Amino acid sequence: MYDIRFTVNGQPEHATVPATMTLLDLLRDRLALTGTKEGCGIGECGACTVLLDGKPITSCLMLAVEADGHDIETIEGEAVGGGLSVLQQAFIDTGAIQCGFCTPGMIMSARGLLNRTPDPSDENIVEAIAGNLCRCTGYEAIIAAVRLAADRLAGAKQGRGQS
Amino acid sequence: MTRELKYVGKPIARADAVDKVTGAAQYTHDLCLHGMLHTALVLSPHASARIVSIDIEKAEQVQGVRAVLTGNGLCYQLGLYLQDKCILARDIVRYHGEPVVAIAADTLDIANAACRLVEVQYEALPSLLDPRDAMEESAHLVHPDLHTYNYMKGVFFPKAHSNIAHHQKIRKGDFDRAFEKADIRLTASFYNPPVQHVPMETHAAVAQALPGNRIEIWTSSQSPYTVRHLLSVCFGLPHADVRVHVPYVGGGFGGKAGLGLEPLAYVLSRAAGGRPVKVVATREQEFNTLPSRQGLHSTIEIATSNDGKIVALKSTYIWDAGAYADYGVNIGRSAAYSGAGPYSIDNCWIDSYVVYTNKVFGTAFRGFGHLEVLWGIERAMDLMARKLGMDPVEFRKRNLLKEGDTTITGEAFTSGHGNPQQCLEAVAEAIEWRTPSAPPIEPHKVRGKGIAMLHKAPAMPTSTSCAVVIKLDEDGGADVLVSGVDYGQGTYTVLRQIAAEELRIPIEKVHITWECDTAFSPYDWQTVASRFAYMGGNAIIEAAADCLDQIRFVAAQALDVAPEDLECEHGTVYPKGHPDRGIPYSQLALGYTFENGNSIGGPIIGHGRFIAKGLTHLDPDTGQGLPAQFWTYGAHSVEVEVDTETGEIEILNIVSALDAGKVLNPKLCVGQVVGGVVQGLGSALWEGFVFDEKGRLLNPAFVDYKIPTAKDIPHRTQQILLENPQPGGPYGARGVAEHPMISIPSAIGNALYDALGIEFTTLPLNYERILTRIREKAESS
Amino acid sequence: MLGNFEYKRIRSIEEGCQYLAEAAGDGAVLAGGTDLLVEIRNGLKSPQLLVDCKGLDVLNVFSVDDSRSTIGASVALNQLIEHRVFRTTHPALADALASIGTYQLRNRATLVGNICNASPAADAAPVLLVLDAVVEVAGVEGPRTVPVRSFFAGVKKTTLKPDEIVTAIALPARSGLRTAFRKQQRIRGHDLAVVNAAGAYSPAKKVLKLAIGSCAPTPVLLDPIEVDSKDNEAFADHVIETVLRAVSPISDVRASAGYRNAVLPILVKRILHELLFEGSGA
Ligand SMILES: Cc1cc2nc3c(=O)[nH]c(=O)nc-3n(C[C@H](O)[C@H](O)[C@H](O)COP(=O)(O)OP(=O)(O)OC[C@H]3O[C@@H](n4cnc5c(N)ncnc54)[C@H](O)[C@@H]3O)c2cc1C
Ligand code: FES
Ligand code: FES
Repeated sequence: MYDIRFTVNGQPEHATVPATMTLLDLLRDRLALTGTKEGCGIGECGACTVLLDGKPITSCLMLAVEADGHDIETIEGEAVGGGLSVLQQAFIDTGAIQCGFCTPGMIMSARGLLNRTPDPSDENIVEAIAGNLCRCTGYEAIIAAVRLAADRLAGAKQGRGQS
Repeated sequence: MTRELKYVGKPIARADAVDKVTGAAQYTHDLCLHGMLHTALVLSPHASARIVSIDIEKAEQVQGVRAVLTGNGLCYQLGLYLQDKCILARDIVRYHGEPVVAIAADTLDIANAACRLVEVQYEALPSLLDPRDAMEESAHLVHPDLHTYNYMKGVFFPKAHSNIAHHQKIRKGDFDRAFEKADIRLTASFYNPPVQHVPMETHAAVAQALPGNRIEIWTSSQSPYTVRHLLSVCFGLPHADVRVHVPYVGGGFGGKAGLGLEPLAYVLSRAAGGRPVKVVATREQEFNTLPSRQGLHSTIEIATSNDGKIVALKSTYIWDAGAYADYGVNIGRSAAYSGAGPYSIDNCWIDSYVVYTNKVFGTAFRGFGHLEVLWGIERAMDLMARKLGMDPVEFRKRNLLKEGDTTITGEAFTSGHGNPQQCLEAVAEAIEWRTPSAPPIEPHKVRGKGIAMLHKAPAMPTSTSCAVVIKLDEDGGADVLVSGVDYGQGTYTVLRQIAAEELRIPIEKVHITWECDTAFSPYDWQTVASRFAYMGGNAIIEAAADCLDQIRFVAAQALDVAPEDLECEHGTVYPKGHPDRGIPYSQLALGYTFENGNSIGGPIIGHGRFIAKGLTHLDPDTGQGLPAQFWTYGAHSVEVEVDTETGEIEILNIVSALDAGKVLNPKLCVGQVVGGVVQGLGSALWEGFVFDEKGRLLNPAFVDYKIPTAKDIPHRTQQILLENPQPGGPYGARGVAEHPMISIPSAIGNALYDALGIEFTTLPLNYERILTRIREKAESS
Repeated sequence: MLGNFEYKRIRSIEEGCQYLAEAAGDGAVLAGGTDLLVEIRNGLKSPQLLVDCKGLDVLNVFSVDDSRSTIGASVALNQLIEHRVFRTTHPALADALASIGTYQLRNRATLVGNICNASPAADAAPVLLVLDAVVEVAGVEGPRTVPVRSFFAGVKKTTLKPDEIVTAIALPARSGLRTAFRKQQRIRGHDLAVVNAAGAYSPAKKVLKLAIGSCAPTPVLLDPIEVDSKDNEAFADHVIETVLRAVSPISDVRASAGYRNAVLPILVKRILHELLFEGSGA
């Protein structure tokens, strides 16, 4: 058993975990953060995407012990102060959701993208979410959602700059 | 006077969106009950073998193991239409990946470790992998006891002592004579491999065996009432003693329409003394153990007159059912009555055989056999057009069903069916059919355009029905109870729109409970066949009318006005022309109270129903009859670019037109079309099971089973939604959810001919297949 | 949960080598884990001990310039791909790394892990081969270096000893080399290579190096080829012939040998075009 300390969505956490536990299982089974999904367990589908120190990774391919000392962000941390984030709202507005099983992972990948590239090209968006499989939507609306969120965020920034 | 629609036809956002973008939506995968056990399976490593012995002793002794089951103790025969399946394999295994032993334990790790201690001895048997071989007299029998199985009589026709689980015949006119006499004849054969649904949430079920022989199930299913019914039949329990919950479902596409892991979860719970047991398919098991789409071999013969009128068509469809019949037999049936495409054909002969083999079994998949049969038909239409020297669009137009024609089962085609020709013309125009593709810049690339028609009707029993209950809340809102499942297609949002429209209340006040629960939600047959919005929509209209009748009845007494002189709007009932004198629903929902305290009425609960109208069984010998509640027609046109050196294909554009009757929600409808088109692209270009010569599945994981990613979508797509109303449909709507996927492969295959001059007959059209054919052509010329 | 193993986060490379030596072949270095954890999950490997070096700062650095570049064992692929200088000095390697898996994966996966895993399809391998990269290794008996061309021993086999840890990959001076990488996948989304290939051309020496992946048990480096570009077409034919003689592709679920044999010449031809013919009027 290994003692680990890390933060999840800004909250300090402490856990005792076996070496063989994945970060995905730690989040879902121990911390009850079931927004993060498992679609394959082998890094192919992106349903388990979370941010590690701000960067998207697949939590099924990381051991829980490896999270020691790191910051993890999950979909449960995305909504801000009781309201939806700009990104979440954009997913709703463009119709980027059907069954919703890929949605948390998609949003985390998109969040990672907007963290590093606030004004992404369509190519950037596709590259960022291509590791997230969605069987329902055909991706068009998802790409549009990320675009919309980026535009809205840029607009908000510009608006602030002017006022 | 027509009232302007407030919600129906508007791009209302999904009702479940907030739960889904926040991660709050709970799927069966996420469910955890107190004391819940986890399950691991021992799967057959053979496609066909006799089980000589199973030693579970060591597994049983592992600390934390609570139940170890083999097929031996489980004498149940399961099946939707044909009871040919056991919960765990008994005596013989019929496909690679079939569950042989199931272990429930405190943790998944313990269950997995225990599985590794199980010793199974097999005696390998020859495996039947090609359904055409399986139809030979001399073939070994996948189900030697087929003649003893129960099945739905009068609808299906399993052939005793053979591998044929069902034979569907369609006979219209005199094919032989017409074919003989025709000017031009063509025969061609086609193949579709088995394909997986790949819902992002794999199959999952939690079951608890309760005292007094009751069962409680939570499952990732499309069909709560079918799960309930089949379990109660299988275990001989009263229906009410089986309670099925369906939380959020992470995609279905038909793969979760029947019975999946539920019976297994239940027998494990029973064996473990009633602890809840969770069974979750790994992604590999989703490919390997749970059902897929059937493969299909088709042979199509068409004869026309010199001026391009089809005079005769014959198809032989040989379905690769795999080890069990499941929905396969019904696909063999329904794809046969659609099996000549949306064309008027006076002399038609179809044989559709659903044949057992030693492969993972087939089931319903979005399109229910139509993508498969139309791969052949719509390719054959292009082949024929070329033989005639006619433009493929003109050739189709010449033969499309028109008012006054009859379908191949003898149904009269009317204007209420929608307009296939308009769909065809719309996609042809949008892709600039008459203008050849612009040549690409790189010399090793070529481009081409293709077009294909599609059609489909819901495949459902003649008695299919559903019900809806609406409860009015004390705030004047409405709770809608249904048990069709919204696993992503958006039906609940559409039903909410209809409820708001009909009840005359703001849509924010309409709530649909997401979890279906057979203890509370009224009956619905299954959420399949693109019929939920149609049937559920009609039932909602009736339920809302029932609510309004009750509202008017009570308000009439309160206002001292005749009920027929009252009208409803904005959640208020008032005497016609006097909205100021109205009573809000909130004051009527639980009963109306006069100033002096006297009260009348009571809680308002409306009820609506719908049952399929006028359907008949098909004649066993000729297939004639009325199988379809409605038909939906459509067309796709595509433009492709091929790298002739590597075989890579790029989709430049896909235009889709569907006659939706009435678009209830354009945003959701377009979403269905785009999603379906990309799923169809998967079937067209990449997807398909690969087996080795022993019948082992070689690509049961995303590493080698590729589905489209965001990098693989067309450069452009366009959706054209036509609205030629459907008589009897809610607001004139008909189903469209499955259809966008159908004929995507056909349109691409046709475009590949345009680009390369090569006739493709086998799916998928992957880079390797394309390059191989390009090189063959180069060598032979 | 995965397999059954212990986990050690080490404080020095020596300590790591010591642990691995004690594990006597039952230990494995855990870098990004994107190969290792999948293999453990699928029961293909069952190490008793995972040694995690990611806490060591010395392995987490890379330096890139024209004279010599070193890439530490713990550097994630995206750190390299998103590094502007790296992209301009090593464009072919950056292309190869960017073709690996998904964005999320590349935030964990490492270059060193890619070659230590020794898959015949490893996308970094052909480029490292044509660049004459050198693998820097630490072991209980001290450090040593291995040229990448002597690193691969077979499918999923390297010439590392059980106690050895790769600390870095060194890339020699580029001295005007032009490089290119090509990969044939089955789909545009993430996929392993059906065939991959890299080329490096020295205009000064008029020498071309080519390496091919996914067409033999290990990535294959061809003998240097003298470039005589009087007749491009004849030269290309000659090179392709040489390449096809050097490889032995098999048929598997990903592709048939026939398809590999058909696509490989195209990749090679496209590499030749990019390195030699483009702008030379061909
Ligand atoms: C979804 C998915 C897609 C992929 N796509 C591609 C692809 O397109 N192309 C491709 O080439 N690969 C691909 N891979 C494989 C893998 O991601 C890469 O090979 C990656 O570079 C491995 O790096 P890693 O750091 O994750 O290695 P790890 O998994 O940590 O290690 C791999 C192997 O190397 C050993 N090792 C690691 N570091 C050292 C060291 N310092 N010293 C000694 N031994 C060491 C480990 O013990 C292990 O045996 C894919 C994998 C997945 C899951
Ligand atoms: S579950 Fe992690 S990538 Fe699929
Ligand atoms: S919405 Fe269902 S998988 Fe993406």
